[in-house]
Amino acid sequence: MKILALDTSASPVSAALLCDGKLLGEFYLNIKTTHSQTLMPIVANLLSASKTDINDIDVFAINAGPGSFTGVRIGVASVKGMAMPLDKPCAGVSTLESMAYSLPYSDGIVCAVMDARCSQVYNALFRLNGTTVERITEDRAISIDELEKDLEFYDETVYLAGDGADICFRAFGEKLDNVVLTPVNIRYQHAYGTAVAAEKMAKEDRLCTSAQLMPIYLRLPQAERELRAKQEKIEKGEMNK
Amino acid sequence: MQKFITSSAEETEAVAENFARTLKGTEVIAMFGGMGAGKTAFTRGLARGLGIDEGVSSPTFALVNEYNGKFNVYHFDMYRVGSWDDLYSTGFFDYQDNGIMIIEWSENIEEFLPENHITVKIDILDENTRKIIIEGTDMRYM
Repeated sequence: MKILALDTSASPVSAALLCDGKLLGEFYLNIKTTHSQTLMPIVANLLSASKTDINDIDVFAINAGPGSFTGVRIGVASVKGMAMPLDKPCAGVSTLESMAYSLPYSDGIVCAVMDARCSQVYNALFRLNGTTVERITEDRAISIDELEKDLEFYDETVYLAGDGADICFRAFGEKLDNVVLTPVNIRYQHAYGTAVAAEKMAKEDRLCTSAQLMPIYLRLPQAERELRAKQEKIEKGEMNK
Repeated sequence: MQKFITSSAEETEAVAENFARTLKGTEVIAMFGGMGAGKTAFTRGLARGLGIDEGVSSPTFALVNEYNGKFNVYHFDMYRVGSWDDLYSTGFFDYQDNGIMIIEWSENIEEFLPENHITVKIDILDENTRKIIIEGTDMRYM
């Protein structure tokens, strides 16, 4: 089974080609150019350099979120556009889960964090057990303070990954001595992790059609508070809508 | 803090043009000032200081205009942005660190501005006279 996986969920952009568990090729850029300009040349180059016909791709995978608003939209729309005419299945992978799949070489907890701005992060926790990845929490949007409280429950080594790892380590790295910052070459999401997660989804029959593939946006605590305040006002009759 | 009194839109533009020369490339500039204060005039001057001579207009309907000069300039109008969800879906957070961001109606998103922003307050003193106060520095460049 050949999987073409893409990641455009934050600042880096990457594409990976996986065939029955083997990484055939990967292309990664982390420069300040919009993904709408880099993604398609990357895919075209990866396919031509690996002498792969796009018709031979069995599954199109994408980090469908959480992530940047425009980044996620560019990625999901691109995969829809490639999978739809070929009538191939898609895998909408959690960006946070893809990070955990880039790290399975040791034991402990992966704390995947993406910077959602204003002291908030997108986060999920995973337990690594040698080569297996087990999800502990759902993908969630929480404040850095809440995450710190949550991590106090774990005695195992906690590996921080993602573009929020730095700010989290600065916030509580010194207070929690089992928390470690992963090295930069494996800290950020790569399409390789997306591809491995997609392969597992395919085995578990969790793929979708290109029409079903949707971006995953998590509502932030700050947005949630605003919405509650607004609803309370409506209930009290202070606002019409 | 810098304080200026200007007596025409052209003078407001000139203040902004000089201010633009101090920019390093990724500052967030939050403008405060009501209707007709001269926020778009200030932006026009700032853009000219960065080598962008035309095309600056208020992005009231587009939400964000993009100009390319010495740096990329992202010109936001937050007049119709009223919540975090609105702000997120303008791509506001995706533009940060990729160029100069200059924001009209910052009043509406004040609590979401990054820590290191620069404030430009424009007060209407009379029909043609404006008081402009520029405050704050991007500490990342200090």
